Order: sequence, then structure tokens, then C-alpha cells
Amino acid sequence: MRRIAVTGLGAVSPFGAGVKAYWSGVAAGTCAIAPVTLFETDGLRCRVAAEVPDVTGSARRSRADRLALAAAAEALEDARVTRREREEVALLVGAVGGGMLETEAWYWTRAGREAGGRLSAVRSTLPSSHADAIAHRLGVHGPRETLVTACSSGAAALAMAADLIADGVVDVALAGGADALTRICYMGFSALKLLDPEPCRPFDRARRGMSIGEGAAFVVLEEEQRARARGARIYAELAGAGMTTDAYHVTAPQPEGEGMARAMRAALAQAGIAPGAVGYANAHGTATPQNDRIEARALREVFGEGSLLVSSTKSMIGHTMAAAGSLEAVATVLALAHDLVPPTANLEAPDPDVAFDCVPVTARDVRLEHAISNSFGFGGQNVTLLFRRV
Amino acid sequence: MRHLPAERVVITGVGAVTAAVSGGAAAVGAYLADPRAVTPTIPAGTLATLIDGGEARRLSRACQLTVAAARLAVADAGMPDCTGVGLVVGSELGDLHSTLEFADGYLQRGPSGLSPLLFPNTVMNTMAAAAAIAVGAKELALTLNAPDVAGELALARAAHAVASGRVTMTLAGGVDQIEPTLAPVFTSLGAPAAPRGEGAVLLVLEARAHALARGARILGEIVSAAWRGAAARAHGVGRRPDTRAVARALAGAGVGRTDVAWVYDSASGDCARDGWEARVLAAALGPPLPPVASLAPFLGHSAALGALRVAAAAWTARSGLLPASPMRRVRGAVGLVHGLARGGTHVALVVGAGEGGGTA
Repeated sequence: MRRIAVTGLGAVSPFGAGVKAYWSGVAAGTCAIAPVTLFETDGLRCRVAAEVPDVTGSARRSRADRLALAAAAEALEDARVTRREREEVALLVGAVGGGMLETEAWYWTRAGREAGGRLSAVRSTLPSSHADAIAHRLGVHGPRETLVTACSSGAAALAMAADLIADGVVDVALAGGADALTRICYMGFSALKLLDPEPCRPFDRARRGMSIGEGAAFVVLEEEQRARARGARIYAELAGAGMTTDAYHVTAPQPEGEGMARAMRAALAQAGIAPGAVGYANAHGTATPQNDRIEARALREVFGEGSLLVSSTKSMIGHTMAAAGSLEAVATVLALAHDLVPPTANLEAPDPDVAFDCVPVTARDVRLEHAISNSFGFGGQNVTLLFRRV
Repeated sequence: MRHLPAERVVITGVGAVTAAVSGGAAAVGAYLADPRAVTPTIPAGTLATLIDGGEARRLSRACQLTVAAARLAVADAGMPDCTGVGLVVGSELGDLHSTLEFADGYLQRGPSGLSPLLFPNTVMNTMAAAAAIAVGAKELALTLNAPDVAGELALARAAHAVASGRVTMTLAGGVDQIEPTLAPVFTSLGAPAAPRGEGAVLLVLEARAHALARGARILGEIVSAAWRGAAARAHGVGRRPDTRAVARALAGAGVGRTDVAWVYDSASGDCARDGWEARVLAAALGPPLPPVASLAPFLGHSAALGALRVAAAAWTARSGLLPASPMRRVRGAVGLVHGLARGGTHVALVVGAGEGGGTA
């Protein structure tokens, strides 16, 4: 069995560009959720989100492409993957909104509701735009895939990239997810009445829904022996991954969390460890009453009511959609590397139905051997990533 | 990419809902034996015979197409249920129609015009989710997005998942629908006027040992698959004839370029892309180049067509017929399904008859 090392990290988050800014914000428990500035929210019940400040890159590219490019470039540089090596590096990108923000601007302009939208933006609408932009700009020309599994897309990209390495298809993969805030996403969750008008409060008794965010994160995954042979810095091992489908409802999770639990068990089985070996779960933790209750039930089903620490970094950066799974994977990897569990911000009155210590407000110093990151999406698309300390 | 590991991957079912043919492997074979160009829009009423009234009211057209194709494929493969079955769906445009409808609701009526029922359809995995629910597929479910080659890519990825033992069986293929508002937009952008088609085509892929154990009819075999990214600008075509995907697929199948008896390519009427693909195939397989068939002139270009090409390749391997113009008789154990997208996504699958199988 070929083992998978994490040798590079890249992130652009509502705390700004770079993994350092991301981890500093998360570790400090800072909430980056604030009033929306990217588009009009008049008449909507919720008007806050976690936007990325000062997005750089060519204005000819979509905002999401720019987020993806910055995070992917940082990860490749962090892992010191050369231009020559990139010819054989797999590229797996989780994406949902693609360049929809700019396409919306054109569509809104066409309808006389805004000004300044450009027809040319339509070219970059597809989710696959990010992968094509990364491949061309950064010279990554191994197997290329754009995966759309809704809110678990970023995590799915890591899981499937790990498969390619484990199966010997490639030795190195660049995997992650990216999404920019879009009107359709924001208004859609508003229509579903899933947004909290205030910054979200995962696992709080009074939680009222999620906050939306944006960002991108990529990791370089590498066959472990190759990584060691070249003296690469190894942050952690991606020791297991589980992907399941509820086949239950297009938006609602299966009420018992059966598919979620199967994903977690599959990750444990692949890693060859018992549930008690896992010290921390970076939860999907959207802060909707339904998700948090069902996820907590699934966690209890798999891990029991033991000492597992559970937190939701969405309390700080919102739900970054296709980027969520990869941003949270980066947080989980860094939790292992720094012996520090990120907190759940805004958690004041823990829900008594959640049988876990959800690390309210302040990060916790804990030595961890294994940690998981859960990501669940519309359509009952469940992904669990399991990381091991190295 | 290396060749598929461990398990041999066979095709045991086909479900197609297209403008020209709807049904299983037999219906697809009958159409391929006498292909005709058709109006690319699926006739009204076709879907009504394939889904129930509740689904017709509840599901978008793209989801209906996918659900119908999934059911046809499951029935064609003689699967008693979908326990342990995965699902890989490729789509270029997703349910764009619902996305525009959702946006129009807001633009016309403000926040009160936002539909919570339409919103889930704006996420491209909605078709896979609807199909997974319809047939009860609870394992790995992926939606892959790519311009031009999403159907072939889904089948290559699914074949790998079966070959590596991640799943024993999977439904895989492509779906797209024609969105009338797109054509003038693409024309305004100066995009190539490749005629679009619509439909859903899903194949049942299965580990050969599993298929034999349950007495399944074997329609063909995906002997090897490779997918890569060729160098090209986003939305553009490449300058170099990158042959790595083809070379790796052939190496994985243990065959040489002269063993490739026929090719199904992804040519669609986009002259720049078609020319690039022709140069790649010439560099990878020629000279002389084996006979090449393009199905897009018959059905229009869509992710469903990419999947249909794989079903067609299996049919050619069994029948010795290639629906080129005119119909050609070909000899040889294997052929190549080839796809090359604007932006560089590159897919190659080596397809054979699947020795020791039944006939269809």
C-alpha cells in the first residue's frame, strides 16, 4: 500500500492570502463574517458573509479563478514542485460556482439591474475553468479532473487524488477546491431559509443557520517514500478517506446520519485504526439546526460519547462551498502539525443534544495522533478525510 | 497514467435517452447499424414513457434524462438492485436551464421570486443525486465537469474505480441538455458553432469476475483508460500534438498503435479543436491512421455523446461495423475512444469485445 504524504499547503481565505494568514485567524478564533460588499442584498433576511479581502490577479480572470490560482501556486511552491515535475502532477479541483459571479454580473446587466457586466465573462462560467486556468498558468499537466459534489467538492478532490497516488497512477497530485461568493448561491440558501442573519453559531443551542464564505485551498499530496527521498517537509499523512452517498434527498441529509457514519467508518477502515485513536473532528458544522444535529448523531454513532474534540471552522470563515472541504482539510493538517485544535467561534450555549466538547471560542492545546475532516453536500454526498501525525 | 490495475472492467448494460435512440444496448446497436442524423432535441413524449408522473413534476429536465438513462441501464444489465453501486456522471453544462430560471425569478420579482425548489438544480451534481436516489446507488458518486469530453472522462474515471476495486459496479456516462439561450451568447463571443445535442447515456461497468459470477451478459470491455491535461490556454486549443494519454492507454492495454483497428473521436464541427485532435491522433496512431468515426454529425455534441461513443466502440468490437460514412467493416480486437477538449482535458479509452462474454 502506497502511503500519502501532505507536502504542500496553499490557502486564500476570508483572513486574506496565504496559509499563514488563514492559520493565524483560525487559531485565534477570529470571526471574519461581515456585511456583504460584492453584490446587492436588499430585501434578503441575511446580509452577511465571509468575503476574501484584496483578491489579486488579472481582472480578466474570474474572482474564483484568481482565488484558485493563488492557493494552487502557494501549495506548489510550498512543496517545491518544479516546473518539470508538474508535467506529471495530477490536478483535481473541487468546484461548484465556477465563474458564475461575473456571469451573473453580465446577466444582471443585460436585465438592466446592474452596470458593467461583460459578455466575455461567460467563457469562464464552468466549474472546470479553475482547473484549466491552473493547468495553463502553473504548468500542471498530469491527469486533470473537476469534481462537483456540492459542498463536499474540495474534500472529494483530495480523496480522489489520494486514490490516484495509492493506485500508482501518479506520484504527486495537486488537489483542492475553490469558490467565490455568488448571487445565486447566496440567494438560493436564502430561499431555503438556511442563512443566519448574524454570524453563524455552529453547535450552539440557539443556532439559526449558516453563513456563506468564499476562498480556495490546495494541498500537494505525494507518495510518502518519494517525499522522504527528496527531503520534503511532510505536514501529515492522508491515511484514509471515505466517500458515500445517502441516496435519500436532494437537499436534506438522511435523518440518522447513516451515510455520514459510513463515510467516517470507511476512512477509519482505510487508515486501519480504531475510532478511539482519533482525537479531533473538524466538523462539517454548518450551523443549520438539522446538519449539526445529524452530524453529531453520526459522530456519536462512530466515535461514542468519548473524548473526541469537535469544532467547526465555518464559525470563522463561513461555508466556503467547494473550497470548504479543502480549507478545512488544511486546518485539520495544521491542527496536527501545531498540536492546536481550532475553536468554534460564536459558540456560547452548547446544544445539549451534541454529545461532544465543541471547543468554544478559544483554541485548545492538544497533542493529536489522528484527526478527521468531515464534508457533506447537497445530494447526500459525504466525504471524510483522515489525517495522521507524522 | 498507467493501465487499469487488477480487475478487468466490462460493460454489462447501456441506458440511452437521446434524440435518435432511447433504450438499452439492443436499441443502441440497432441505431448504430443504420445511423441517421436527427433533430438534436429529444422528441416531446419520450421522457413521459420513462419516468413517472411525480418525477415529471418534481425533477428538472436534466434530472429526468439522467434518471431515465440510469433506470434503462440498470434494467439492461439485469441488476437486481443497486447495493454497492457507484455513479459517475459527466456533464459540460449541468442544469443550466434551471440556473437561468432561478436567476430570472429574482430579476423579475425580487427576493419573493427566488425558488427553493429550483436552487438545488443550480449545483451540477443535481443530476447524479437524482439518479442515485432513483436507483438507490449509495457508494461513490461523482460528477465530473469538463468542456467537450465530460462523458468519456466519466467513463475513464469510473473504469478506474472498478479496476482498482473501489467499487464492484458503477453507472457512468454523461448528460447535457440543449439550452436555447446559449447559442446566441456563444455566437456573440465568436465561439465555434459546433452543433449541440442533448440526452443522457449511462453504462454499467462491472468487474469481469463479478459479471461472470452473476451470469451477466457482457457487451464489451474497457481494457485500459487514461486521462491527462494537454497544454493549452483555457478555452483554447494546443499547439503540440500531445500523445501521452493515447500512449498510456495503449501501454495499459498491452497493445501497439497498429493494433488499434478503429477510432471514435470527439470531433464536433469546432474546426480548431477538430484539427488539433486530428493532429494528435495522427501523431499517436499513424501513419496509416485506422478508420475514424465521429458521431456528433448524427446527434450533436454533448456529454451524453461521449458516453455513447464508448457504447458504440463496444458494439463495433462485437459487430465489426464502424458507423463512419459510409458504414465500414473493420477487423481487430480493440479500438480507441478518444476525446480532446478545449483547455486540454484529454481522454483515451481502449475498448474491446470482452472475451468470453455473451452476445447482444
